[in-house]
Amino acid sequence: MLSLNLLKVRLFWRALRAKSERLKAYYLAQKAILATNVMEAPLLAIDLEMTGLDAQFDQILSIGIVPIENGRLILSKAEHKLVKIEGSVGQSAAIHGILDHHLDGAVSPEVAMAWFADKCHGQILVAHHSPLDLAFLQKGLSVHFHQTVKLMAIDTLGLEKRRLMRQHEVLKEGALRLGASRERYGLPVYAAHNALIDAIACGELLLAQISAIGQGDKVSVAEVLS
Amino acid sequence: MDTSELQPITDFIQGLVPFDSLSHSTLARCCKSLSVGYYSKASTFVPLDETDPQLYIVRSGAFEVRSDDGELLDRLGEGDYFGFPSLLSGEKVSNRVRILEDGLVYHLDPDTFDYLRVESRQFDRFFNRAFAKRLRHQARFKAKELTTTSRVSALMSNNPLIIDVNASVCEAARKMRERRVSSVLVIDNHKLCGILTDRDLRNRVLAEGQDGSLPVHQAMTTQPKVLSSNALVFEAMLLMSEHGIHHLPIVDDERAVGVLTSTDILRGQSSQPLLLIGEIERQSNLDSLISVSKQIPLLLQNLISADARAEEIGRVLTSVTDALTRRLIILNQALLGEAPMAFCWLAFGSQGRQDQAACSDQDNGLLLAHEPDEAASGYFEALTKAVCSGLDQCGYIYCPGDIMAQNPKWRMSLSQWQSKFARWVDTPEPKALMHASIFFDMRSVFGPSSLFDSLQDKVLANTKGNDIFLAGMANNSLVESPPLGFFKKFVLERDGSEVKGIDLKHKGNALINDIARVYALSAGIKEVNTAKRIRALMEQDIINRKDALNLVDAHEFIAHMRLSNQGYQYTHALPISNYLQPKHLSSLVRHQLRDAFKVVHDAQSGIKLKFTRSF
Repeated sequence: MLSLNLLKVRLFWRALRAKSERLKAYYLAQKAILATNVMEAPLLAIDLEMTGLDAQFDQILSIGIVPIENGRLILSKAEHKLVKIEGSVGQSAAIHGILDHHLDGAVSPEVAMAWFADKCHGQILVAHHSPLDLAFLQKGLSVHFHQTVKLMAIDTLGLEKRRLMRQHEVLKEGALRLGASRERYGLPVYAAHNALIDAIACGELLLAQISAIGQGDKVSVAEVLS
Repeated sequence: MDTSELQPITDFIQGLVPFDSLSHSTLARCCKSLSVGYYSKASTFVPLDETDPQLYIVRSGAFEVRSDDGELLDRLGEGDYFGFPSLLSGEKVSNRVRILEDGLVYHLDPDTFDYLRVESRQFDRFFNRAFAKRLRHQARFKAKELTTTSRVSALMSNNPLIIDVNASVCEAARKMRERRVSSVLVIDNHKLCGILTDRDLRNRVLAEGQDGSLPVHQAMTTQPKVLSSNALVFEAMLLMSEHGIHHLPIVDDERAVGVLTSTDILRGQSSQPLLLIGEIERQSNLDSLISVSKQIPLLLQNLISADARAEEIGRVLTSVTDALTRRLIILNQALLGEAPMAFCWLAFGSQGRQDQAACSDQDNGLLLAHEPDEAASGYFEALTKAVCSGLDQCGYIYCPGDIMAQNPKWRMSLSQWQSKFARWVDTPEPKALMHASIFFDMRSVFGPSSLFDSLQDKVLANTKGNDIFLAGMANNSLVESPPLGFFKKFVLERDGSEVKGIDLKHKGNALINDIARVYALSAGIKEVNTAKRIRALMEQDIINRKDALNLVDAHEFIAHMRLSNQGYQYTHALPISNYLQPKHLSSLVRHQLRDAFKVVHDAQSGIKLKFTRSF
């Protein structure tokens, strides 16, 4: 949790150094939301499926997004994009279940990034274990904007970890996984997995986490950004 | 967006009545229009915005709906709805929805709601009915009638007789004769295209002077009304009466999976236990009685799946046991000859209280009009041995504690029984009393009621107002306490580690039985059924109305949980036990269970105050 002012300054600098108007507007819009109460802020829960865990070498396979408006996930605006990759999905299919032939209707990484840049404008990103997803997105968006792009997100895994540490609980292996975290809040088990379902699952988890913090109407975006 | 990507949400919505009646594409549109919210206990009430009415679909958590004057209208858990009254009436929301446990809720907007009502008559009818029901302020634990809540799949005959559309009516009639059914489904290229019934053969073939080579499709009823196996029996009845038909093909995914006839529905109605009792009374030897008794587990299963009241299930099962006992006595008397004196067959414990469940053992005794001589002793020994062994073979296993009429200890004359009870009552040793408590729940199953009354009147005259005895009984009833603390622990342990089950019998209903028994004996009330005891106590103002009704509700609810748990165990071929694994309970049920245990706890405090203070 970084202080509100520090975050503002950081975003302001990024906006100053942004070469494209679009990117500048993106940072400034983020800056404007920082002090807003989380339950009223425009959020975008996201999840990515990748061919591996290394943003340098691995590629994005699919992106799921669902906006959260006034504390509600809006399924009518939820979207799921499959992304074309170079080569084969290989062994990673065992984890995400996406096989090469599923990618027939997929879009190119360039199209996907243009689409994502458009969708995330004016929204605060929410992800479970966000550093991983952000690393892939930053790499893709940097290509799109021809400039290094830095993203911020609310990390539901980070929130959960802090909460459990505060309660002095011993963290068992796997205790912070999305499913295990949801179970602690009595959220339903989703048998199927894809980037969209996991984005929804992550969004729901955030709502439950904010409720559990209590004073849900007093928690600002800056307080939960990682 | 492809809807299969919303699979978990679509699956959930599709499993709900009335959403299950929607077509695939309508359902997809519906799921895509949802928004998802989370309501936390911390905010107490769901903020219902009257300018923005929604259908709220509970995905998890527990809620209760109260009218503006605070009356409880409904309790909601997973798969329940709220918010529909204002959607339907367009009026301001006056009910309040309290959050009992944090939960996830899907919101359906008014436009989509109206669209679904237009698309599906069943959908429209469901919410109109629910609205009317809500207005009538339904009682909390009111059980549902069999025909209105059970599903077609429970009554239909599976594996329907089918015939190709080009076969002759003669062939169809032959097949119907072989299978002894009154209808056959006509299939064209694996799809149902018609139905041919007895009546069609008469009216469209015989009466028209057609011969047997007529192809089926010229005699059948084309495009018959069909239902899915998931439909309510109630809907089947409605459809049959609307169209004056007696046969409904049951079709799932365009595949004919069964036939439901009006006779199936009749048979499914509550007459079934009566049929079974009638059958018991017609049997003339032990072997045939044993084979009839094989139907008892199925009867229990049907009653459970029909959501009958637990109290009624107990009474029905006990009347079957009673009938079986009586039949065994009569059959054996036919072999042994007339009894040398009047006698009563006594039922104790659960059979006495009329709350038998699955796997009951025997608890019985014999009450003789007077001291038997050697010949009479021999006669009764032979009779009781035969009856007890008959019961054992019918599935009521021998009592592990040997409290059975075949044990000479529990085969006594009136005066011996009277002095036995007098010893328990006058010198109440806690240990002895604990074993004796089941004897105080006694009922005569066979024999002259005057003889039984002479015993019961004497016993009650002894117990009524007998403070020392009542204190002993009350103390015994306080040894076990309801598992209240358990729930807290349970919530903490939700993510993983093994949780021990709740013993619904010994930590639930047995405690209520004990409480009712102490009160009933203190007041000299003759009833032995727990619910009847409590009602009698309420009428005599010994327990106040509110406490009495709460106790009856709690008793019913815990018994219901125990039965449905045993139903689950039975269908999953698990060993039948009284232990409930709380893992799979919805949060709503957990709440109700906690409330029920709280009622038991309070009633125990009441007993303690009333009967044990000076000892």
